[in-house]
Amino acid sequence: MAAQTSVTKRLLLVIVLLTGILAAAVLVALSSGSSREGMGASLAIIFGQEDANTTLETIIWHLRFPRVLLAVLVGATLSLGGLVFQALLRNPLAEPYILGISGGSAIGAIIGIMLGLSRFPGVTFCAFIGSLATLALILVMSSGTTILKKDALLLSGVMVNAFCSAVIMFLVSLTQDARLQNIIFWLMGDLSSADSLTTGILALILIPCFLVLFFFSHAMNLLLVGKETAQTMGLPVKTVTVVLLVLTSLMVSATVSYSGLLGFVGLVMPHLLRLIWGPDHRVLVPACILGGGAYLVVCDLLARTLPQQGEMPAGVITALIGAPVFIFLLKKSRR
Amino acid sequence: MKTVIAINNLSHAFGNHAVLKNLSFSITGGDFFVIIGPNGSGKTTLMKLMAGVLKTGTDRIRIFERDIRNFSYKSLARRIAYVPQRLEVGFPFTVEEAVLMGRAPHQNVLGIPQDRDIETTRQAMAITEVAHLADRKLDQLSGGEQQRVFIARALCQEPEIILLDEPTASLDISHQIRVMDLMEKLKIEKKVTVVMVSHDVNLAAMYGDRLLLLRSGEIASLGLPHEVLTFRNLEATYGCKVLVDESPLGKSPRVTPVPKKFLV
Amino acid sequence: MIPPSVKTISFWLVIVLFALFQLSQADAKAVVDQMGRRMTVPDAPERIVALAPSITEIIFALGRQDRLKGVTTYSNYPPEALILPKVGTYIRLDLERIVALNPDLCIATKDGNPKSAADRLTELNIPVYAVNPRDIETVAQAVIEIGGLLNAEEKARDLAEQMHARVQRVKTQVAKTDQRPRVFFQIGVSPIVSIGTDTFINELIVLAGGENIAAGSTAYPRFSREQVLALAPEVIIISSMTRGASFEHIKAEWQSWPKIPAVQNHRIDIVDSDLFDRPSPRLVEALELLVKLIHPELFGNP
Repeated sequence: MAAQTSVTKRLLLVIVLLTGILAAAVLVALSSGSSREGMGASLAIIFGQEDANTTLETIIWHLRFPRVLLAVLVGATLSLGGLVFQALLRNPLAEPYILGISGGSAIGAIIGIMLGLSRFPGVTFCAFIGSLATLALILVMSSGTTILKKDALLLSGVMVNAFCSAVIMFLVSLTQDARLQNIIFWLMGDLSSADSLTTGILALILIPCFLVLFFFSHAMNLLLVGKETAQTMGLPVKTVTVVLLVLTSLMVSATVSYSGLLGFVGLVMPHLLRLIWGPDHRVLVPACILGGGAYLVVCDLLARTLPQQGEMPAGVITALIGAPVFIFLLKKSRR
Repeated sequence: MKTVIAINNLSHAFGNHAVLKNLSFSITGGDFFVIIGPNGSGKTTLMKLMAGVLKTGTDRIRIFERDIRNFSYKSLARRIAYVPQRLEVGFPFTVEEAVLMGRAPHQNVLGIPQDRDIETTRQAMAITEVAHLADRKLDQLSGGEQQRVFIARALCQEPEIILLDEPTASLDISHQIRVMDLMEKLKIEKKVTVVMVSHDVNLAAMYGDRLLLLRSGEIASLGLPHEVLTFRNLEATYGCKVLVDESPLGKSPRVTPVPKKFLV
Repeated sequence: MIPPSVKTISFWLVIVLFALFQLSQADAKAVVDQMGRRMTVPDAPERIVALAPSITEIIFALGRQDRLKGVTTYSNYPPEALILPKVGTYIRLDLERIVALNPDLCIATKDGNPKSAADRLTELNIPVYAVNPRDIETVAQAVIEIGGLLNAEEKARDLAEQMHARVQRVKTQVAKTDQRPRVFFQIGVSPIVSIGTDTFINELIVLAGGENIAAGSTAYPRFSREQVLALAPEVIIISSMTRGASFEHIKAEWQSWPKIPAVQNHRIDIVDSDLFDRPSPRLVEALELLVKLIHPELFGNP
């Protein structure tokens, strides 16, 4: 009878543990960067020591901090998005871009970059509109059948994404040098343009979403036993599904519009956390938020500091780490 | 005893295809009510309508003398539990977690278990004899064990009516008897009304208080097992030759379908 | 009624404070850069970061390299620039490295440097002065502006005059002939890309007495080989920036089309892209090189 009494206990354990890991990741990330100052000096500043090296202070709080905060938010959103879609579609291969969000936002972003708009609000806005358009398209396409029939949604999403890929390749072929590099960085996921204002706005949008999704975490548990059964257990399935779908899509769209298409976070993190802590969403939702955030902070840190000159797109690191981890998880789950 | 489910002129169609045609009958509280009939006769559809999964018109279905449409999902869930034919076991919840979910109609939105929830779950797992499997993952159990877990979950809803759609369909004879005995125990001890769809007419005969024989969406016969299970009714409904005699146990009719080689 | 003594004292207090304020601003000045942005820059900036290779070249040409503390990755001219700390590429600036160098002035180009990076630096109280060199004339202007910023006004004027003189010399040489050979200037391999009217290479070709067959409204038009064949260039010039293929390989590809006049007359040349692609004072060098390639007959090479 161990499990049932400890939902609260497990939740607390997970929150404490992952908050610790997140805090450690953030500290290391704030203390490292391309200016190659020692970690000791950075840590001293973070903990408020008086001997103010103002240059380093500026670097840490005005350059690194918004970016690290953005990494936390994006990592949390993508992991949570993957988790919710896996529950909604009852498919472990679901990931946050599955409902055409990647295709639509990419087309929007590329058009924005080609028009020479600035990252925020121009490109971000275009990307957001793009993802809303494809989402609407998919909902319309799959509403011929029942809107909630999970296969219809999934298939429509896959088709729309495939079509968008073709459009993207066409647009890329039309583009010249400087913008091409910007496009490629966006497509791979790029946190380098983070600044306090936009990160702050994103936080204001995302944190309430996280709270609402936590509120629905037990509902997600119930959804997993089957739509009809969940309804007979008292869950207003249609309403819950629509709310989760719309909220998560908007959340992921908003994030992706700004940071680009970081891959593998939304697919790998939910599985990894589920492997460790089981499928109870009341535990997984906070786990994804904290764990996903920590993961992306680390990936972005590596992306910034590994190369001798410049930086890699963070999406390269998430893929390089994420793919082997995913294969490992696949093997583990076979047992 | 009072009527717990009243069906009044119930019809249902999928697109142009009429599945149920003008059904009217009622189920008494505390009964073991078994619905039998050939494949495609509308049994599952009828179940889903009674469970509130499929929607119907005003006053077609009354639960405890209230139109089913007037119940909120949650309040209906506290009165009726539904165990469908197939349940998805995709994600690896433990047995205990799965059973505990049945407490949802009595809990707040996050479903944090209270003492009462834990106690009910314990009892449900005891009655269904799955307590020893509490920490095992659902997908590691046999079909029979899974079935009992789902019944335990339904019991956690503390329902007054439990609907089961072919609960014995893929079970061996010992597990079949166990499930049926369990239902009977619930009926007697907990005063739960059991409504079951069964493909096995002999089990229906042995356990059912009243039987409903469905043919092409209409009532072919309704009443006590001896009244319903006549060779005329069965041959007309199932379209094959049957032999109906008395079960050697003495309490119910026994139906034997006749293989061709025995026909003269 | 305020007593007259209080009024007088207040008046002089205001004057004195105003004067003090102006004095404290004495080591900075308000300027407007070539993009019309207003800012305050130090009178004598000591720590400068050049945000484009062309700026690096200008600063070295003005003799102010001792104040240069950081350059972008591809700042390779003059060779002394190679040892300076790098702050990323001019398309993707590494803000952290820039801030770490503690600059009191950054100099940017309007084309290339992303505005968002410039804005971030300004937010962090680092003035970013943008110049906009698009052709030889505006390069000379940028030289003067930067000279003004770095207290090298005289050197800047000299340099600008030199540039004008050399351009004039080329114009005089070119005026001696009526011929305007058809020139195809290739900057991309797969696909083949040339340069349109609104580029400084086009200006160089025209000044050097050639006709740019890729002239048109598209800045970087693409061509198939058939299209180039149809345009019949007499001179093909390939910029070494075309990555991923050696010069011999590209030349060989053209030589398999003997119908092209440039191929027939062996007029396929390669030039250093750094010279042609950078809006720096060395554009005049590029011009001089170009006129020798387009009109060899003016220099004793028929």
